[in-house]
Amino acid sequence: MLGDLGGFFHLIEKILGTTGSILYLIFALVVVKQVNTMSKNVKDKFNNILITVSYLHLLGAIILMFLALTIL
Amino acid sequence: MTRSIDLDKVAPDDVIEVKKEETENEKAEIQTNTSKTKTLKEKIYEIVGHTKHSLSSVLVNPDVFSFEERDTQEEILLVARPHWFTNLSWILISILMLLAPGFIKFIPIINSIPMKYIGLGTLVWYLLTFAIIFENFLSWYFDVFIITDKRVIDIDFNNLLDKKFSEAKLSMIQDVTSRVSGLGQTMFNYGTIHIQTAAEVSYITFEKVPHPEKIIKILQFLREKKEIDKGGRN
Repeated sequence: MLGDLGGFFHLIEKILGTTGSILYLIFALVVVKQVNTMSKNVKDKFNNILITVSYLHLLGAIILMFLALTIL
Repeated sequence: MTRSIDLDKVAPDDVIEVKKEETENEKAEIQTNTSKTKTLKEKIYEIVGHTKHSLSSVLVNPDVFSFEERDTQEEILLVARPHWFTNLSWILISILMLLAPGFIKFIPIINSIPMKYIGLGTLVWYLLTFAIIFENFLSWYFDVFIITDKRVIDIDFNNLLDKKFSEAKLSMIQDVTSRVSGLGQTMFNYGTIHIQTAAEVSYITFEKVPHPEKIIKILQFLREKKEIDKGGRN
């Protein structure tokens, strides 16, 4: 009985973790898109650095999703 | 009727004297415009001073800066972003968020949580912290007020999904007012400038810009110059 309950909670944890990491990945993609749009509108010295940082953030979100799928 | 040039002797690729004069006139006009812009830039330097660094809230006559709606002949004279002090609240919150995982070991219940979960939680925490820092920085960095030799422009990115562009020609400016209120604004000399225009957008607001009095002075100078130019042409 307790084992079933533990399995159920583990499933919930996995679903929530995976959904959260996917949502975060979508957010990271939106950030990349938006930084590109902003950089196209306003061109300044640090635009390339900001675009690179947004891609690094996207990489972080991909790693998070991968970890959520494997660890949870 | 005598001709100044015997057209029968002119080859199609010969340089015609009249054309040469026109080109010289054009050159002279370009030179006059360049010297006008140079004087304009010198005056702006005189009022605001030189830019201290690239991340400064006020960029005077920037070489690298540009924007999508810029005309080919348009000269950017001044770019202003909100004063750095307006970023203080999110910078402090971010520092606290960055330091927070260091104190987590003092919570007794943490020891009973498996290490892999703590690692994942820490990654989530730092990613969220980074997202907050990055979004706030982007909102500040891309929120610009531009003064060119032709118009004033306000480009606002309120959040990541909302862009607002408003502009008014210098000749359309009717009234300029500024407001410095509160302790922070008085101490660090920044405030809001309201520009009333005769254009479709009746108001353009430059929010929390440093040295509002100097920006008003620049606008006043540019408006006067426009009127003098207009009078000269008439």
